[in-house]
Amino acid sequence: MDEVLIAIAVVLVAAAATAAVFHRDPLRQSMVLSLLGLFLALLYTFVQAPDVALSQLAVGSAVTPLMILLTVRKVKRGPRSGSEDR
Amino acid sequence: MNGWLLAAAVLLVAGLAPVLWTMAVGEPRTRLVAQNLSTVLACPVFLLAAQGFGRPSYTDLALVLAMLGPAGTLVYARFLGVLPRSRVVLGTAWTVVPATVLPLCVVAGPGRAMAKLLVIGVLVVAGNTVTSAGTDRHG
Amino acid sequence: MSRPVRLWVFLVGAVLVAALYAWACFDLPSFGGDHHPYGDRAVRTALAQHTANAVSSVNFDQRAFDTLGEQTILFAAVLGTVVLLRQVRGERRTDPTPAPVADRVRWFGVLMLPVALVVGFYVVAHGPLSPGGGFQGGIVLATALHLLYIAADYRALERIRPVGLYEVGDAVGEAAYVVTGLAAVLAGSAFLANVVPHGTFNTLSSGGTVAVLNIAVGMEVACGIIVLLARFLDQAVEIEETAEETGAR
Repeated sequence: MDEVLIAIAVVLVAAAATAAVFHRDPLRQSMVLSLLGLFLALLYTFVQAPDVALSQLAVGSAVTPLMILLTVRKVKRGPRSGSEDR
Repeated sequence: MNGWLLAAAVLLVAGLAPVLWTMAVGEPRTRLVAQNLSTVLACPVFLLAAQGFGRPSYTDLALVLAMLGPAGTLVYARFLGVLPRSRVVLGTAWTVVPATVLPLCVVAGPGRAMAKLLVIGVLVVAGNTVTSAGTDRHG
Repeated sequence: MSRPVRLWVFLVGAVLVAALYAWACFDLPSFGGDHHPYGDRAVRTALAQHTANAVSSVNFDQRAFDTLGEQTILFAAVLGTVVLLRQVRGERRTDPTPAPVADRVRWFGVLMLPVALVVGFYVVAHGPLSPGGGFQGGIVLATALHLLYIAADYRALERIRPVGLYEVGDAVGEAAYVVTGLAAVLAGSAFLANVVPHGTFNTLSSGGTVAVLNIAVGMEVACGIIVLLARFLDQAVEIEETAEETGAR
C-alpha cells in the first residue's frame, strides 16, 4: 500500500510540475506552484520525511505566494501615483 | 491492506487529481476555488496517513495546514480582488473532514490525541467556512 | 554571442552533465535496501542524547555547525533583500488607502492570530520531540502575524509590527546560536557541543542544547521572514517612484 501512495504522489507531482511550466502568467503560475508544493509535501510524508513536509507546507502555503504576488503587483503598478492598499 | 491508507489513496485520486486539472485549465475564480479545495482535501489525507503509518506525530502536518491553508487562499483572494462563494468547498469541509476526524477520534480514544484531532477538525471547518462563504467585493 | 551559439554551448554542457549524472547514479546504493550505516549511527546517537526527533538531533546536535551555516544563509538573504528594497532617492512613501474587507474575513483574521501564534510556538517547542522545529515553527509564526495583513489591511499589520524591533530580534536569534556554541567552548568542550544536561526522553526539556538552539533558530527565522515580508510590502504598497525618476529611464 505504501508504494501505491508514493506512486500516486509522484504522478501528481509530475503532472503539477508540467502544468506549472506551461503557464506563463505569474499569477496563474503561482497558484499551480502552490498546488505543486502541496503535492510535494504529501510525497515527502508518504516516504516518511515529515520534517521536510512540514517545511514545504509552511513555506509554500502563504509566504511564497505572498512574495510572488507582491512582486507582480509592484511590477505591474509601475510609476503611477495614488497607491492603494491591496 | 491498510484501510486508512486506502482511504487516503482514494481521496488523492478522486479529489486532488480533479483539483489539479481544474487549476490547469479553469478561469481565475474557478482556480481560486480549486486552490481552496486542495487544502481542504489535503488535511484529511495527512490525518489518514498519520493513522495508517502508525505515527501520531504526523498530525502536526494537518494542524499546520489547517492554519496556513485558509491563509493562502485569502492571499490569492486579496490579489485577485474577489473571494468567490463556493458550495463545493463548504460541502467538502462539512462532510469529508468530519467523516475523517470522527472515526480517527474513536480509534484514538479519549485523551490528548483525540483533543488534538478535534482541534484540527474545527480549525479546518471554520477556516474554510469563512473562505468559501465568499464576498463579491474584495474581501 | 548569438542565439545558435548559445544554444550549442548549452547543449554541450547539458549532455556532459547528463552523462556524469547518469554515471554517478549507477554507483548509488540500491533504493530501499536494508543497509543504512549512517542512518543507524545517527539514530543511535540521537537516542543516546535523549532526543526523540532524530532529524532535530542531526540538525542541532550532531551537525549543528552546518545548521549555523544555513541560518546564516537566511540571515544574509534577508539582509540583502533589505538593502535592495530600501527606499532610495527618487522614490517616495505614500499612505496606503485601506482596502474594503468583509467583516467576516476581518473577524477570522483577528481570531485566528492568537491561535496561529500558539500553533507556531507549539511547533518550535516540540522540535526535539516531533516533526517540526525552529525553522518550520518560525515560518508559521511569521505567517500568523501576516494574517492581519491578509485578512484585514496594511494599517492593522503596521500596528503590531514595529519593524526595528523585529530586525533586532533577527540579529539576537542569530547571535544566540553562536553564543550557545561559544558557551560550549567555555564549558571545556567543542564549539556547539551538547554540554547541557540531556533531560528525560520525550519531554519538552530533553535533548540539551537541541532545545536551546531550536528556540534561537525559531526566533531568527520568524523575525527574518517578518522583516523580509515587510520590505516586500513596503515596496508594493507604500513606495512609488516619483515622476522625475521615470523620465530618466
